[in-house]
Order: sequence, then structure tokens, then C-alpha cells
Amino acid sequence: MRLTVKITVAVLLGIALIFSIFSYYSIQREREQLKTSLSREARHLGESLRVMVTEIWQQRGEREALAFLQRANQVHGETLVRWVWVEKEAPEKYLPRVPIDQLDDLYDEETVALLAASAEGRDYLLTYLPLVIDGHRIGAIELSESMDEMHDYVEESLRRSAMVIGAMVISSLLLMGVLGSLWVNRPMRRLRAQAERIGTGDFSTSLNLSGGDELADLGNTIERMRAQLAEAREAEQAANQAKIEALEKLRHTERLATLGKLSAGMAHELGTPLNVISGRAKLINSANLPAEDVTRSAKIIGEQVERMTNIMRQLLSFARRGEARKQQVELNTVLRSVTPLLEPSRKEKKVEVILHEAKQPLYVSADPGQLQQVLLNLALNGIQAMNDGGRLELEACSEREVKPPETVNSTVESWYSLLIRDQGSGINTEDLAHIFDPFFTTKEVGQGTGLGLSIAYGIIEEHGGWINVESSLGKGSCFTVYLPAAEAGENQ
Amino acid sequence: MEAVCLDTHPHILLAEDDEALRDLLDFTLTRAGYLVSCCTNGLDLLERLAEGDPFDLVITDLRMPALTGLEVLESQLDNQQSVPFICMTAFGDRKTHEQAELFGAAAIIDKPFDLDEMIELVRTTSLRNPHQAKP
Repeated sequence: MRLTVKITVAVLLGIALIFSIFSYYSIQREREQLKTSLSREARHLGESLRVMVTEIWQQRGEREALAFLQRANQVHGETLVRWVWVEKEAPEKYLPRVPIDQLDDLYDEETVALLAASAEGRDYLLTYLPLVIDGHRIGAIELSESMDEMHDYVEESLRRSAMVIGAMVISSLLLMGVLGSLWVNRPMRRLRAQAERIGTGDFSTSLNLSGGDELADLGNTIERMRAQLAEAREAEQAANQAKIEALEKLRHTERLATLGKLSAGMAHELGTPLNVISGRAKLINSANLPAEDVTRSAKIIGEQVERMTNIMRQLLSFARRGEARKQQVELNTVLRSVTPLLEPSRKEKKVEVILHEAKQPLYVSADPGQLQQVLLNLALNGIQAMNDGGRLELEACSEREVKPPETVNSTVESWYSLLIRDQGSGINTEDLAHIFDPFFTTKEVGQGTGLGLSIAYGIIEEHGGWINVESSLGKGSCFTVYLPAAEAGENQ
Repeated sequence: MEAVCLDTHPHILLAEDDEALRDLLDFTLTRAGYLVSCCTNGLDLLERLAEGDPFDLVITDLRMPALTGLEVLESQLDNQQSVPFICMTAFGDRKTHEQAELFGAAAIIDKPFDLDEMIELVRTTSLRNPHQAKP
């Protein structure tokens, strides 16, 4: 129910109640007044009649007195006058209209006035004036007056009150409807619309409620809230912008740092063979160099050139890695395909390679060649880390519960993984942070360029996955390659 | 460069992890008349220095496995009898240079360098060092 209607109904009920009570008491009072005045009139008339009846009774006797009363009846049309005996044994004709018990006061020669209803339900005002006959018989002049007039008057009063109440209700409804709409409904609608706008994040429209009432206060409060929210959002946007800019700067710095690392790595990797080549060339060019040294120098130059070519090739594969040609690949198959390639290194280092295949086939969408390259790289690293032999475990499994790191922006929920676990020397914490950096290596010169892991990480990243490393010094390392599981529909 | 044979050959300790460059420097410096001893990493170098052999000059690469040349150089800071160091670096950045200088390197040479330049550097460094003989 609308607020205005509720208030209107409550107010109207209150008004109607008060007015009804007021009307009731007014009517009651008027009724009493009317009764008093009627009673007084009857008494006056009765007093006059009593004097006359007493005289006639004394001078001419009972018959004449009663006849006089009979005649008086004809003069006073509205009022019925008769003689009664206040005796139980009196003839019916002279019995009072009310039981004699109610007329005890007459014995004390006092006038009695009372209201009584007739058998037909009509009300009468009865007035009894006592008269002592022969010193001992009590009689009375009974004046009865119909109260119909008074009933009419009360009915009229009631009707008038009802009409007034009705008119008041209707006019109040109209007035409160108009004013309620003007003072409550309209500002309420505007407040609601504004609140809804703010709720949807639109802080652009301001709200001005005129008047100094509570709704205007509420409007002002909402307006202040809107301004504060708008300000807060602006501040947040500015902060976000600043954050994005800072991130952008950081990324730029990171790119520069990577470039720096790459350049430093390249300088070291290429600087040394270049140094050897230029030195050997100079030696060959110098006089008095024995023939065998010339040959050896030329051979070394050839070797160094080959070494540089190798570095260049790896660098190219790092920088311009070909587009991955993805297809359905089964991880157990990949594991099996890598094992024969590990054979020579495995034998040399006296390492035992153990395969743990998954029970069910695990399909991923990947470039099989690139995936094999990653697995081979990680497995060879593992073998090389084991100088005193040991066990290299390769495992394929499905990881349902794993959560990707923040750098991997993915909504994939189902991941498959390849584990490469060695019992080698392990990686210290400081190096662990850099193992995926290009040109980072802990191997002897010529043993590795420091690009392998970097390339591996890049490939897996391109496949929507990531590589996780856990390592403890002296106990070994475990590399886990996570790849998004191919969707059910893609399964073969 | 002509080989000069003298009774006392200045003794150079050469530390370089790259075999090809080590061979080249060994060959060239020997031809130039120096006595050359080689090591392949920083740890090796530190051990040789600790053995107390009277080396006249150390030529070391800065980036080496086990222990870097810079770390070896730093460890020699408190040594009163320390030999002059010539540092070879492929990281020609200012920071590396400054650090090497701070740790008392006699000279720093960027890779790739000219062999004549290296011989000249060895000669002048040896000259500056009073308790050393010339080749």
C-alpha cells in the first residue's frame, strides 16, 4: 500500500472516530436537554391541573374532577392526561402505565418523571403529580407525552453527522491525494530514480529537491553521497590509470632488462670465440709460425665459427620461433618418443630412466615437435645434473586441482602435466629465479648457451601453459610442465 | 712479436674457462717470452694463488664457473703481496669496470681484444710493477 494512502486512511479513521464520539455526546446532551424541557413543560401543566383538580374534587366530588381531566385531555393534543390510583388493587382503567414499584416517590408527595416504552415500542415521557385523596388514598395525574419528536430529532442529528463525516472523508481523500502526490509521491519517485541511477553506476545527474522537509534532506544526503561516489570513482580511475602507466613502465624496464641480459649474454657467448678467431688469424698472419701451428689455428678458427653459428641458430630459434602447428597430442606417446633420444646421454652418465605413463590417454592440443623438444631439453638437463648416476623419472598425469600462476592468464580448469624428476645436484635459490632467463647458464663454457630453458618456457607459454620448478640442493630437481587439457569434444 | 729469451721469465697465471681462448693466450704469451700457468676456473685460480708461487701477473676472465674473477680479485684486496691483475670481460659495462677498479685491478680489457693490445698491456703492467723482471 502506498505511504500516502496509509497515512490518509489513518488520519481519516482518527478524524471519523473523534467526530463520531463528539456527535454521540452532542446528541446525548441535546436529548437530555429536550427531555428536561419536555419534562418541565409537563410539570407546569400538571401543577396547574393539580390545583384545579384539587378544587373541583373538594367542591364537586370525584366524578366532576375526573371529567375535568378528561376534558383537559382534549385541549392538550400532544399530551395525554389521565387520573391514576397508586394502588395495586385499582381498576385497570386507573392503573399507571409503569409498575407501581417505580413510583415510590409519590408516597412522599414528590413529582415523578420517567421514560417508558409502550407495548408498540414507542417511547413516552411520563410525569406523575401526586394528590392525597381523603387524607389517605394516593392518586396522581399522569401526563404522558410521546417522544417521537425527540427520536426524529436524534435521527436527523445522526444523519447530519454522517453526512458531515462523509463529506469530510471525501474532501480529505481528494486533498490528501493531491497534496500527497505533490509533497510525497513525486519527490519519492525522483529519489528512487536517482538511487537506481547511482546503483547502476551513473553519477552524472544531480538531484535538487526543493523545500526544507525530510525528503529534501534525504535528497541532499543522496546528492552528497553521489558527489562522493563520483569523486571516489574518479580517484580510483586515476589510480588505476597511474597503476597501468606504472605497470607499463615496469614492463618497459623489464623488456630493457631482458634486452640487457640478452646483450650481455650474447657479448659473452660471441665475444670469446670472436677473440679466439681474431687472435688465431693474427697468429697465422705473423711470420715464423710453424706450419703445424698454422694448421691448428685454422682448425680452431673453423671450430669457433661453428660454435658461433650454433649460437646464432639457437638465438634465431629463440627470437623467431616458428608458429606452433598444434594438433591432438597424447602425452604418454610424447614420453615414449623421447626415451630413445635420451639413450646415449643416459648411458654416458649411468642414469636409469623410468617412465610413469598415465592410466588413461591424456590429450592436449600442441605442436608434437615442440613438445618433444621441451621434454628432451628438460630430460637432458636432468641427466646432466646427475654426475654420479641416479634415476630420471618421466611422468604424465592429469592435474585437476592445480591453480595457474598469476602470469598465466587462463580460464582453463583442467590441466595435464609432464613431470621430469632427477636426483642431480639441484639448483640454489638464487639461480632458481633466473633459470628461464635467456643466456643464463651454470654449465661450463661450451656445454650450453643458456637458451634451452628459456626456449622451453617460451614454447609452453605459447601453448597456454607454464613450467614449475622445485629443487633442493644435493637432492635433485623436479620440473613440471602444465598444459591445458584438450576439450572433451576435441578428443579423438 | 718476437720471442725474447732471458734467464728469468716473468711468470703469468692465466685463468680462463674457454679452452680455445686459454690455448690462444697461453700460446701467444709463451711466444712473447713469458712463463704461463693456466687454470680453468676461479676456484682453481684462488688455490694457485694461495699456494704462494711467486707469480708476476694474473690474467683472469671475470665470468667463470665456481668462482668469478671479480670474487677472486676481491679476496686479494687484503693481501699485501698481491700480484697485479689484468681482467678480461665481455660485459663492457661501467659497473663491472668500476667494481674491478675498486678491487684493485691493474687493467681491464674488453673482449674481443687484439692480441698485440694484450701483449702491450702485459708489458706495461709488468713495467709498472717494481719487483718484477722484464721479459
